[in-house]
Amino acid sequence: MLRRDFVRAVVSVGLLPKALLAQQTANPAPPPPAPVPWTLGLNPKTPLPVTVAADGIAETEASFFTSSQLATFTRLCDLLLPPLDNKPGALQAGTPMFLDFLIGSSPTARKKVYSGGLDWLDAQSKTKYKLPFAQLNATQADALIKPWLRTWMTDHPPTEQHADFINIAHEDIRVATMNSKAWDDAGVAAGQDWVTGGLYWSPIEPDMAGLGATSTHLPPHVMAVPKAPHTIPSYPR
Amino acid sequence: MTETTYDVLIIGSGHAGGMAAKILTEKGIHCLMLNAGPVADVARDAQRKPAYELPYRGFKPPGRLEHVFQASEFNANVWVDEEEVPYTFDASMPFNWVRVRLFGGRSLFWSRQSFRLSDYEFKGKSHDGYGDDWPISLTDLAPYYSRVEEIFQVAGAQDGPPQMPNGNFVPVNEVWSESIQRFIKASQPYNMAVCQQRRAQGRDGLASSVNLLLPDAERTGKLTSIANAVVRKITVDKNTDQPNGCLFVDRLSRREMHVKARVVVLAAGTLESTRLLLNSNLGNSSGMIGHYLMDQIYGPGVTCSVPEARNGKATKQLMGGAAIVPRFRNITTKYDKFLRGYALNVTSRMGAMEPRNFAAYGAELQQKLQEYNGSAFHITVMGEVLGRYENHVRIDKEKVDAWDIPVLNIQTRYTENEFNMAKDAVEVSCAVADAAGFEVLSKNEVPNPPGYSIHEVGTCRMGDDPKKSVLNKWCQSHDHKNLFVVDGASFVSAGWQNPTMTILALSMRASEYLADEMNKQNV
Repeated sequence: MLRRDFVRAVVSVGLLPKALLAQQTANPAPPPPAPVPWTLGLNPKTPLPVTVAADGIAETEASFFTSSQLATFTRLCDLLLPPLDNKPGALQAGTPMFLDFLIGSSPTARKKVYSGGLDWLDAQSKTKYKLPFAQLNATQADALIKPWLRTWMTDHPPTEQHADFINIAHEDIRVATMNSKAWDDAGVAAGQDWVTGGLYWSPIEPDMAGLGATSTHLPPHVMAVPKAPHTIPSYPR
Repeated sequence: MTETTYDVLIIGSGHAGGMAAKILTEKGIHCLMLNAGPVADVARDAQRKPAYELPYRGFKPPGRLEHVFQASEFNANVWVDEEEVPYTFDASMPFNWVRVRLFGGRSLFWSRQSFRLSDYEFKGKSHDGYGDDWPISLTDLAPYYSRVEEIFQVAGAQDGPPQMPNGNFVPVNEVWSESIQRFIKASQPYNMAVCQQRRAQGRDGLASSVNLLLPDAERTGKLTSIANAVVRKITVDKNTDQPNGCLFVDRLSRREMHVKARVVVLAAGTLESTRLLLNSNLGNSSGMIGHYLMDQIYGPGVTCSVPEARNGKATKQLMGGAAIVPRFRNITTKYDKFLRGYALNVTSRMGAMEPRNFAAYGAELQQKLQEYNGSAFHITVMGEVLGRYENHVRIDKEKVDAWDIPVLNIQTRYTENEFNMAKDAVEVSCAVADAAGFEVLSKNEVPNPPGYSIHEVGTCRMGDDPKKSVLNKWCQSHDHKNLFVVDGASFVSAGWQNPTMTILALSMRASEYLADEMNKQNV
């Protein structure tokens, strides 16, 4: 807009206050901000886009294990859980990189079990075979691993040094593999429903920093059980 | 706005609070219930998902819920977050405080084992000289147990010895599988009573305050409930010095509010009720609040295999079923290694075995898992923890929770009595398993940290002497006749039994007494 036109427009507004007021009275609803109000439109019939887990599609770089620890751990994964009976092994399930992420996000004590354990295992291998653990054949690796395997009960893994690492890593490798997409895909291929599933609880009215303030519109009065008569169970006593 | 004064303020909505609400409202008393968390709606808040769609493939989210061994990534959001509501302890004395603040509390998630305490617990001191007797006996509580068992549809058989009193059960008469029969025969030298399990069946698959108690209270029209109300402090009338309501903070908005009531009933769960009393500086003329924290030892046990059921030969005749072995030590004879005793949960199972039962990996482990599939026989321990003055909680003056409420410092540890009990339980279990011809695959005699059983009781013990106890035999404060604590805090001894039935019966009994006293204008 040219400056001249702008001035003219301002002046004309100044000259027509009565006309503007008259228009407001005749049509009190303000014009909508857009053709459709912002959040209306999504409804139960809206198709949901189909998405898949990034796991199994995207690649990641190891961020916790050093390159030699990762080589040792990859060999350990392949040894402890190779592909068996049409099921993927730990390597096919991307377990080494997943556990790099999980352990790297974990408290220090757990990190130490892994980094200390992997360094120890590689050192044992170099002492005994003059080779890194990653290059051992199955017989050689077995001789290093087998003496440390224990049987144990839930929540009570071995506390003895080295045995703790071997047994905890063994369980983690199995769980990470058997909860992977590759494992489920193998199940589906064999005609099974997905087997890794469970009932997942989302955060329930979460009270997290940032969310608290925006949640104040929630009514503080909530009935323990809805008051509608048909939803209250009635049992014979 | 005029402030409403309710007849009774109930803090907590689990088994204890739900029972108080049901009993009081059915007697025409107006109740206000506050619960610190939201209502859980399984249709809205939960859905079936494959593990790989979750950020941590089903592993417990790292660093979260370190002391909730029961948590996984699937259920992590139902427990109280340890950073939101912290508690403190010395590293040498870990405590697993497992909490749920959803409406209905821990009654939404429990194992359903349903036992009465016996006079071996109520009158423990009279029996063996240790600790204190309760001011009540089984006779006092039996009529209430019966009504609770009816409401919760407890299934069981009338096969209990005196230390596991029989009750008002939905009859079960499971035919023992051969593996359990072999266990029974092998256990004879120990004078064990091997009994049918006792479980609350509830209704429609749930045995909770939200479906068995609160609907009855709602139906009277006399219950008002507020969710997300985190109670900060019980308030006291300046003139009478009696409790008259509470201050609470809205969990989400942080808005400070208060309510008024003639009577305050605490049912927030043992340690939360105690924390609230300590933070309110109330009812503690005895100095006993916080002391005598007890629970049960969990974790020790053995996992066995029944050889005849291996290699695909497991049948329903041979495998399956569950039994409870009530405490058998220190009943008719005196055992020299420890006081009191433990129960054994016995389970014969046709399913898969856990890989940790084999010192093998790869193809060899796979072959073992196939061979042993269907042959599992589990024996796990529930042992009594003795009441000790020094096992206590207090307010931590340095730390507050997300709503600026001072947190608890917990100082409790097991002693030789508990460790010896765990050791004995595992030795006995192994010996019986051997004699039954089972192979013991794995065993553990180290108890989980205190608190793990989620059976924490005590810290506001009941008694006849106001100098040595916090509550009288009606769960009523010695100091304030309009203050009641109806959860597990009133326990004088823990027993080996899961405490739920006793909490429910005590809450029912206390609530009827309260209604009666209010009716007589004594409260």
